[in-house]
Amino acid sequence: MAIAACATRVLGQSRGLGQVALLLLRWPGVRGLARSNPHRQQQQTFSSLDDKPQFPGASAEFIDKLEFIQPNVISGIPIYRVMDRQGQIINPSEDPHLPQEEVLKFYRSMTLLNTMDRILYESQRQGRISFYMTNYGEEGTHVGSAAALDSTDLVFGQYREAAVGAAYAAKRANTNRVVICYFGEGAASEGDAHAGFNFAATLECPIIFFCRNNGYAISTPTYEQYRGDGIAARGPGYGIMSIRVDGNDVFAVYNATKEARRRAVAENQPFLIEAMTYRIGHHSTSDDSSAYRSVDEVNYWDKQDHPISRLRHYLVSRGWWDEEQEKAWRKQSRKKVMEAFEQAERKLKPNPYLLFSDVYQEMPARLRKQRESLAQHLQTYGEHYPLDHFDK
Amino acid sequence: MAAAVASAGRLLRLRAAQAERHWRRLRGAGLAQGFLQPASAGKDAVQTRHVTHFTFQPDPESQDHGQTQKMNLFQAITSALDNSLARDPTAVIFGEDVAFGGVFRCTVGLRDKYGKDRVFNTPLCEQGIVGFGIGIAVTGATAIAEIQFADYIFPAFDQIVNEAAKYRYRSGDLFNCGSLTIRAPWGCVGHGALYHSQCPEAFFAHCPGIKVVIPRSPFQAKGLLLSCIEDKNPCIFFEPKILYRAAVEQVPVEPYSIPLSQAEVLQEGSDITLVAWGTQVHVIREVASMAREKLGVSCEIIDLRTIIPWDVDTVCKSVIKTGRLLISHEAPLTGGFASEISSTVQEECFLNLEAPISRVCGYDTPFPHIFEPFYIPDKWKCYDALRKMINY
Repeated sequence: MAIAACATRVLGQSRGLGQVALLLLRWPGVRGLARSNPHRQQQQTFSSLDDKPQFPGASAEFIDKLEFIQPNVISGIPIYRVMDRQGQIINPSEDPHLPQEEVLKFYRSMTLLNTMDRILYESQRQGRISFYMTNYGEEGTHVGSAAALDSTDLVFGQYREAAVGAAYAAKRANTNRVVICYFGEGAASEGDAHAGFNFAATLECPIIFFCRNNGYAISTPTYEQYRGDGIAARGPGYGIMSIRVDGNDVFAVYNATKEARRRAVAENQPFLIEAMTYRIGHHSTSDDSSAYRSVDEVNYWDKQDHPISRLRHYLVSRGWWDEEQEKAWRKQSRKKVMEAFEQAERKLKPNPYLLFSDVYQEMPARLRKQRESLAQHLQTYGEHYPLDHFDK
Repeated sequence: MAAAVASAGRLLRLRAAQAERHWRRLRGAGLAQGFLQPASAGKDAVQTRHVTHFTFQPDPESQDHGQTQKMNLFQAITSALDNSLARDPTAVIFGEDVAFGGVFRCTVGLRDKYGKDRVFNTPLCEQGIVGFGIGIAVTGATAIAEIQFADYIFPAFDQIVNEAAKYRYRSGDLFNCGSLTIRAPWGCVGHGALYHSQCPEAFFAHCPGIKVVIPRSPFQAKGLLLSCIEDKNPCIFFEPKILYRAAVEQVPVEPYSIPLSQAEVLQEGSDITLVAWGTQVHVIREVASMAREKLGVSCEIIDLRTIIPWDVDTVCKSVIKTGRLLISHEAPLTGGFASEISSTVQEECFLNLEAPISRVCGYDTPFPHIFEPFYIPDKWKCYDALRKMINY
């Protein structure tokens, strides 16, 4: 108040307080006096008489009622589908109207994959390979999404952040490529996913994040993986266009991926597709899922809602497929897989010295020495190593 | 108006003077004992900040690379980055706060010069920064990632060790992220404490597939950084932050490269080999002078420059000649990189050793705040270890 008094003496009665307040507002640390002054004149850009929030961090209105936002998990983001469980198109305007050859290609890819899974799973049980993971129940997610991409698009089977970097580089190179990155609902809990989503959004990358939500991460059910509305609900939190689809409906997966691809490249922004599905098989050959889920649950999905069955119903109802073709194709696909398997089995494993290759682009001196030492070791002790199975 | 401003100014100075008298009265009254008081060691004893533990020794100006310019370390870095972006249209620089020039000014001017799609900020997420950089590099573009302090590199450890380092190896050379370089400020700075002083090179030394490089000076930094960027393997480039402004040298304006995995003998000697990298090179240089003056001892000084893959031959050749080895680094003793050097040298040069190999390092503690002067392996500790080795 002493300052205001002095200013009044200097500037004259009527202007004193206002002018001083003006000056005081410019000096940091003296805001206390300015606030208490009822006649202040404002020359600053933001007027506190105007009630809109000015925070740089959010674009939103004020609210004067204390209210927490309730996460909506009872009625979550709806699941887009094109076919019902009997393979009938529900809304004709969503039918992609794909030609017969293409839809047959979908079907043959999904069933060939299924055949390969059965044979390779068995081969692991027989000790002919060390480890395998099947795709039972999820064939629709793979084939539907892959069919919607261009042959030059980049596919990352995991590695969410790297996928974003690749998308950024693709954007800069102006090559009209999209990057797609697949991951499960379990992997979506990793920090990698958070980093990937946030970078993709802030750096405006042409990328499709494709989450296969199959209900389990090994033995961990979704209720123990997350408490929100799945993965699709996280997208808007990052500013990402998001959709949830029926992963067992290959046309829904196809449509969503196709549209996401078109827009991601045209608009340079990420898309998140959460494909709901069910993991019919075990997590891997090292897993026995009867330890944590009922056989009834698995059977339900196998019998009542399988991507291959639904597509087959669609094909049959159009007259594009029948029992005879089914039998012939099963035989043919089995033969194809068996032949490839046996041919691969006959091959020798690569030369053991390749163990040391490709650590760096060029082999450092130290590594060369270590390779030498293995060679010398094998000269003396080679009989204790399975050298016969390896290339010379 | 001017009068009002002047009066207001006078009023505030009056206020400040009043405040000062207020504090003086408090001190006099003994109420503020030990509070805001200068150190009580004489009338002109003001507690200065601890002076640096080394004296930067510039190298003689290089005649081989054309016109030079006086640059400090951060300017040499900027110059290297400028050269890189100029001649490689795919090169991009990204990290926290790089857009405005960086917290250490290493990227000043680059965004204006090369555009916001080439020099840009990322969200605050080190695993994202490195993962994103890997993705860019996988497409063949040049990615230069900045981690704001080496202390913060640990969230990216998984990306570096499990992804970047193994990318080429695991894909049998089908893919690689060789065009990735990660830069980070490194080492003690006088007041950095636990999280702004660390030297994490030992963690990465244990990781085949990456290169780790540390310069001692502006001229070395530009040449080594350009080599890292050109190198076809993912590289980590640590920049001694204490040298950013303190180290000034004549540095060529045009690009040039200094080979990786080659140590440099800075001074030849016959009695003992001293090995260090980064800031510590200047410490051991001074130790060498002290040894010559006080003990008549001739030291051979080696700057290791590349931590992995490291130049075993140069170090061993030197120890074979001198018979004694002293290695010094700021990072803690146990598991520090000196242990790798020591172990290798005793394997290769056992019969040449006149004394046990000496390591003068930081203690096995987190990097302390107030105790920094006691923690660091200063010239006195190095000198003492050297003296003991000579007298062994």
